[in-house]
Amino acid sequence: MAITRLNYVSLRVMSLEDCEQHYTQVIGLRVTDRRPGQVYLQAHDAQDHHCIVLNQSDRAGLDHIGFKVTDASDLDEAEWAAREWGLSYVRMPSGELVGQSEGLKIELPTGHVINLFHHAAHVGYSTGMRDPDPIIDWIDGISPVTHLDHLLVAGPKVSQAAAFMREALDFGVTETVAGPDGEPMIYFLTVGNTMHNIALSDGPELGALHHLAFYVHDRADVIRRVDMLKHRQVTTLRYGLTRHGVAGVTTTYFYDPSGNQNEFQCGVYETSGVPGCVRPVRWDLPNIARGVFYYESQLFDEFFAVMT
Amino acid sequence: MSLKHSGVSRIGYVWIAVDDPRLLRARAFYVGELGLMETASEPDRAMFRCWHDPYQFSLIVEHSAKPGLVEVGFQVRDANDLEGLGARAVAAGVGLESASAPAGLGQSIAFVVPAGPRLRLFDEMQQPGYVTGFESPDWVVPKALRGTPAPLHLNHVAFTSPEPARCSAFLTDVLDFFVSEKVVGSDGTLVSAMLYRMLKNVGGQELTVFPAAAPSDSVRLHHIAFSKEDSSDILADGTHLRSDGIEIDLLGPVRQPYGSTFSLYFRDPFGVRIELCSGGRMTEPHRDYQPVQWSAENFKRALSYYDESIGEGFLEPSL
Repeated sequence: MAITRLNYVSLRVMSLEDCEQHYTQVIGLRVTDRRPGQVYLQAHDAQDHHCIVLNQSDRAGLDHIGFKVTDASDLDEAEWAAREWGLSYVRMPSGELVGQSEGLKIELPTGHVINLFHHAAHVGYSTGMRDPDPIIDWIDGISPVTHLDHLLVAGPKVSQAAAFMREALDFGVTETVAGPDGEPMIYFLTVGNTMHNIALSDGPELGALHHLAFYVHDRADVIRRVDMLKHRQVTTLRYGLTRHGVAGVTTTYFYDPSGNQNEFQCGVYETSGVPGCVRPVRWDLPNIARGVFYYESQLFDEFFAVMT
Repeated sequence: MSLKHSGVSRIGYVWIAVDDPRLLRARAFYVGELGLMETASEPDRAMFRCWHDPYQFSLIVEHSAKPGLVEVGFQVRDANDLEGLGARAVAAGVGLESASAPAGLGQSIAFVVPAGPRLRLFDEMQQPGYVTGFESPDWVVPKALRGTPAPLHLNHVAFTSPEPARCSAFLTDVLDFFVSEKVVGSDGTLVSAMLYRMLKNVGGQELTVFPAAAPSDSVRLHHIAFSKEDSSDILADGTHLRSDGIEIDLLGPVRQPYGSTFSLYFRDPFGVRIELCSGGRMTEPHRDYQPVQWSAENFKRALSYYDESIGEGFLEPSL
């Protein structure tokens, strides 16, 4: 049938211990499992086993991206599509990541590997699934981060990758940013009714990660989290809290101890769920400063320069 | 295409009938107080959308001597779904109706859900486009609507049913809805359920079934909910609405554990209960997704985390 959501991101980190502390204490995820060289984490308002897998490595960056599909047979369909599109692919055995059924890993033209799989072990909401009291008393604000919302990745051949996502995997495009030649250089793609689950940007390096974003329900929570990032002396971008003109979300960016960029984000922009139904919004270069940093309306090179 | 989403893709609109001969009171409330935009009108019918919608309407208010919930509209992927879901509805013993569709839809089918409201499934809706435009837009509430709630989207429609279990079973078994939360009696009977098809940030419900007081009661509207950015917005909205003399329901703004929202309920001039909600859950249309389950004795606490007693009135229908 279809992809239902962005399920997890498998990350490479240089210090597992420091990053476990970052993703639990600064971001507020819970540890759901550990394996030698790996830590599994999940947000409070998600049911599946993990949304982040940290892998001990000698460099930072993305290992691969997990998307959940409705049926086991979707793997065969996607394999056929990958072959048609001339993309390399490999089966990922069941259990290679904790709690996960067999997957199909496909390498996009941008150098990013996505893994499609249909079943994850269930851990449930942090509050429990029966008569849950909604309040968790050890979080830094009104609400905890609820889920992994999206990621922005960069690489060459971005239009080819976006075409595969659209035409073979049924992603919809909600917004684009046009490059100097007028062709899109960033695509915001969704499989459901959110503004994006993944954004693909043009970039020189294969398989680069720009950032991954965690969702909070209140803008007050974004403020509280910026305060706590500063208080804890976590490295952030220099402008603190801002709003993206693209999508109109309230946001802040910072880094994990290995240099992978993170975002806290709040915004409820809803899309149709029918790819191609609504014309994509298009941002052009003269307006992109307002699109990225709404209040400041100027570009900071560091925002685009830092990739892992 | 190898993988393809199909079936119900989003809640499109709710259509209500009220006794308001020229729809002046309806317009004064839905535009002037709530901050929707009127997009079209016919004699005895006005259509409204939220400012962030690209579509023609998400609310239809019709004048009628017989007030009530007329229908709820859902967009499907394409015409194949109309054929497929229509055939499944017929196989489940439900007749397709010939009631005329509102202007602005593509192909559609309509039927009455057993112990539920009339639904219309459509494959397309006319699009005036984003009010902000499609080129480098300012995603900001239009100036004319500032000071009103000006919600972003229609979030869900709740109704009372004499047989919540029967209604919920049809929605899940025939139309492939999923249950995000449910209230279950001590004998195992379903008291209430939230049903969804969408993956969205203020998610978890597009239809919510509340229990009717008596088995002989008809299906009626309980409330209409619109999405808001967050709880701070909702507090400001409540202040403005109350200042304009709008009657606030429950005991003011509430955290609602049932559905995990922060909500404010109030009434339109015809008594219809309107909710502004934020929060919710990003529920996933996947068969592995499991519902939160509430016991019936905790139902009221699930409806308001703040209020010791919400009163019997809140469970009553409002139109």
